[in-house]
Amino acid sequence: MSFLITCPICGRRSVHEFRFGAEDKGDRPFGEKVSPEELYAYVHERNNTLGLQKELWFHRDGCETWFSIWRDTSNDLEQPIQQEEICKRD
Amino acid sequence: MQTRLKTPTLRIDPESPIRFTYRGKECHGYSGDSVASALYANEVRIFSRSFKYHRPRGLFSLDGESASGLMQINRMPNMRAEQTLLQEGMRIEPQNVFGSPDLDLMSVVEKFSPLMPPGFYYKKFHKPYSLWPIFQKGIRKAAGLGRIDPDWDEGQYDALYLHSDLCVIGGGLSGMTAALCAADHGLRVVLLEARPWLGGFHDWQTRSSGTGQSAYQTIRSLAQQVVNHNAIRVLTNTYMSGFYHDNLITAVQTDTDNNLHCQNSIEIRSQSVVVATGCVERPLIFENNERPGVMLSECAWRLVRHYGIQPGSKAVFSVGHDEGVEAALDLADFDVEVLAIADSRHDPLPESLSARIRERSIPVYQGWAALNALGKTSVQGVVLGDLKENTTRKKTFSCDLLVASAGTHPAIQPLLLAHATPSFDKETGVFGVKELPPGVYLAGRAEGYHQDKGLEASGSLAGLQACHYCGKGRSEDVLKTEKELNSLAGRSNPSKIVRAPAQKNNGAGHKNFVCFDEDVTVKDIRRTIDEGFDAVELCKRYSTVGMGPSQGGIPGMNLPLIMGEYQQKESGDVLPTKMRPPLQPTMLASYLGKKFQVEKQTPLHVIQKKSGGQFMWLGKWKRPRHFTAEEHVPFEVKAVRNQVGIIDVSTLGKFRIYGPDALNALNFLYVSDMTTVRPGKLKYVAMCNEDGCLIDDGVITKIGTDDYYFTSSSGRAAETLAWFRYWTREKNWEYNLINLTDTLGAINIAGPKSRKVLQSIVDQVINNEALPYMGYQEVSLHKKFRAKLLRIGFLGELSYEIHAPASSLQSIWEELLDHGRSQGIAPFGLEAQNILRLEKGHVIIGLDSENKTTLSDVGLGFLWDRKKKDCEAIGIPALRLTENQEGRTKLIGFEMSHSQKVPPDFSLVVDQEIRGHVTAARHSEVLGKSIGLALVEDRLAAVGTSLQLYAGGNKDACLQARVVKTPFYDPEGKRLKM
Repeated sequence: MSFLITCPICGRRSVHEFRFGAEDKGDRPFGEKVSPEELYAYVHERNNTLGLQKELWFHRDGCETWFSIWRDTSNDLEQPIQQEEICKRD
Repeated sequence: MQTRLKTPTLRIDPESPIRFTYRGKECHGYSGDSVASALYANEVRIFSRSFKYHRPRGLFSLDGESASGLMQINRMPNMRAEQTLLQEGMRIEPQNVFGSPDLDLMSVVEKFSPLMPPGFYYKKFHKPYSLWPIFQKGIRKAAGLGRIDPDWDEGQYDALYLHSDLCVIGGGLSGMTAALCAADHGLRVVLLEARPWLGGFHDWQTRSSGTGQSAYQTIRSLAQQVVNHNAIRVLTNTYMSGFYHDNLITAVQTDTDNNLHCQNSIEIRSQSVVVATGCVERPLIFENNERPGVMLSECAWRLVRHYGIQPGSKAVFSVGHDEGVEAALDLADFDVEVLAIADSRHDPLPESLSARIRERSIPVYQGWAALNALGKTSVQGVVLGDLKENTTRKKTFSCDLLVASAGTHPAIQPLLLAHATPSFDKETGVFGVKELPPGVYLAGRAEGYHQDKGLEASGSLAGLQACHYCGKGRSEDVLKTEKELNSLAGRSNPSKIVRAPAQKNNGAGHKNFVCFDEDVTVKDIRRTIDEGFDAVELCKRYSTVGMGPSQGGIPGMNLPLIMGEYQQKESGDVLPTKMRPPLQPTMLASYLGKKFQVEKQTPLHVIQKKSGGQFMWLGKWKRPRHFTAEEHVPFEVKAVRNQVGIIDVSTLGKFRIYGPDALNALNFLYVSDMTTVRPGKLKYVAMCNEDGCLIDDGVITKIGTDDYYFTSSSGRAAETLAWFRYWTREKNWEYNLINLTDTLGAINIAGPKSRKVLQSIVDQVINNEALPYMGYQEVSLHKKFRAKLLRIGFLGELSYEIHAPASSLQSIWEELLDHGRSQGIAPFGLEAQNILRLEKGHVIIGLDSENKTTLSDVGLGFLWDRKKKDCEAIGIPALRLTENQEGRTKLIGFEMSHSQKVPPDFSLVVDQEIRGHVTAARHSEVLGKSIGLALVEDRLAAVGTSLQLYAGGNKDACLQARVVKTPFYDPEGKRLKM
């Protein structure tokens, strides 16, 4: 396993500079009515996707930023940004 | 020893002879020889014995494609004789030999070969199971490779990390052309070549290259151009070992520094890659096709042309490609009597070749191939036969050299490593790949071109394509070269046959070796398929074909064809097995690289070392455990309790956070109430994770508007920034967090006399009113240094933490020692600190807590602000859920029944079962008893409960202890506020 990851600040760099932060499941369920089960599922349960997955990475040996990328878990390679992401940025 | 032939293409230097020993006997070679060529010149014909049957094996290829040439060189096992350069004084021994290679006692094994079908280890030796260890010993001995010498000479293993625009694999004509073309367009190029020199297969050819020079002269001047080019880095003796995602190439450079114990491990991250690996020869498969004396055409040819060695006196050629015929003609000019050339192709040879054959009146058998090699330990003759069906025409020749080859096959292994899907080209009968990964280009013979013009044009094209991929060069140039290449003669048509048909043989494939490393024959493969292992990957694993040291080098491309033929499938339905790195056997030492152990040192490292500090690892840090001797520890403890001591606590995490949302971030990350943090006061706070487990504690103070200074535990310092940013990543909060851990050093001065000593260097007043317990003050020291004073009480005495710039810390340390001498000041280490904090019952996170220990479990529940709602800080819901949960593990203090008996750390708390463990226990002199902390099940946590501590040894020999309240020392905390 040795691929490149695009950091939004530093650009494409070797994966060894980054720390993996599990799949990006969006924001933590907030509010006062979150059940323990819901919270548990958010914290501990993983979808373990085969294929395209949105995931969090931390540029440990660089700018120390958290960001999300889309990556195909079947071949390890980062995929170009998804449409919904582009909408979100606009 | 043979006298070497004089040919202009020699790669040895006949002027500089080299002495070496083989089996203790003195031999001679020349500088530039490989171990294999030198041995061959010294009349060594049997190089080794095969893995399973102990059949004799000799020189077969010069590029290390089979295990036949593995030897013990200078005590290093499994060195490839073909690829190891000969050096003065080398000691060479054969391996896997009982007796000598010429007369091996284990060769009798072959007589029993019918009893050893594929998988026979699994079938025969496991019943009864108790006998297996005996069999195992015998089999390991008989089927071994080299012997590891425990006294091996340690070498140098360096790592190179290169970044390039283009990485060219293979330094032949097209590889060099691609490199030059790309470098001229401004690309930075790295070129890898496995042999010690550039040139590829042109390097030994004397035919005219059409420019008035011979092919070898042209290629050598081209090589000079490449080496001299500023933008090309050439790495020879370097084989590619792996091809990873996004064009990361790994390679190993051997024989660096002329020492075979030295290897460089190389990693190249390249934008684009040109694979110009050329071709490997496919062995022809026939009866006894691996007898010493049978060799590939390139091997025989290079022996003459590169090393000046005559490979034999009477030779028969059974080849399937034009270069094989050329080799025969060239050898004929060096006094090798070529008795016959069998060409497995049916089409007639090109006129240029047939004319030269007629001149030398060598009989040619078109559509024929070798069926059987005769002779017991070396070739003494050969049976050639007609390949057409329904004929039994045969002819026997007596000879001492049989050059056998089924033609060439593109070396596509690098592409298979890069996850390209293999495909079969029906027209040429070879395997290629369907689609190249982005930025990867194929050139030269690996792509199927064989004429010089095609090689050159395909090299240029690949170079230009790489330029284009890297954003340089013009696309018109690419199109123009592409057109030029397409206008040239098509790819050559090598022979499709890999195996002489079985019906012509007596043994039906019994001694037709497909894999030389593991002694796997055609018959073994058929039997494997019959047993149900009919997919290529299964067949490989069960029959072990291609699983030996050559990593599928020789059988890799033949196995699918043999399987397809037997299974009567369309050729191309069975594809080669998956390739995995390393492509060639690689020493573990070169993977390990240089042994570095990185340690972090505090600003006080040097001065503490001078004072006799005995250092220990603490995470990445080196910190003094104690000063002078172990027995000195009670003295250090006493100094703190009675007078004053100082300890280096620079490893503490130190942070500043500021900005309009700094308080929001703090409040969200910590379970404590951060709104009550005041200037000049310290607040003790705790941080939990989502499970409510304690991950960090520290103190915090306010140093300005929306501006805070806080500490974290040493182990957590590196993590804090990532943790803050992780949890606030979606919040758009405006704050800055600065890690000051390495910028500021820290000293803890503790003991009843600490204020007196400290006051003598601090310019401001720091009495009990100005700086009370849990107070914070910024001060100056001797008007020279600025420092932060934090009055805390981790060790249970009056004490101050001094946080000051790292550069000033050593001076402060010296000043404190100077001014404290009259007060009996002593530096102390981690062991004394451990005893002191234990007496106070203070928790060290990670030592006294586990991953599942919550804030309440360690008794720090008071740090949790109950008014916070579930969503207001990380860990609150879990804290609420687990607070009154039964069956949790709690941290308790205990006292030993016997005051002098101390259980070792991590002793178990037991009754009938394990109920917990001791996290730390020490003898306390000030209390006159032995005390400790333990994590135990909650039903044993009540004060007064007796505990049994198991400290190893006899299971009845448990130590007795009793749960008591903490802190053990000064429960009212009076000494902190003195």
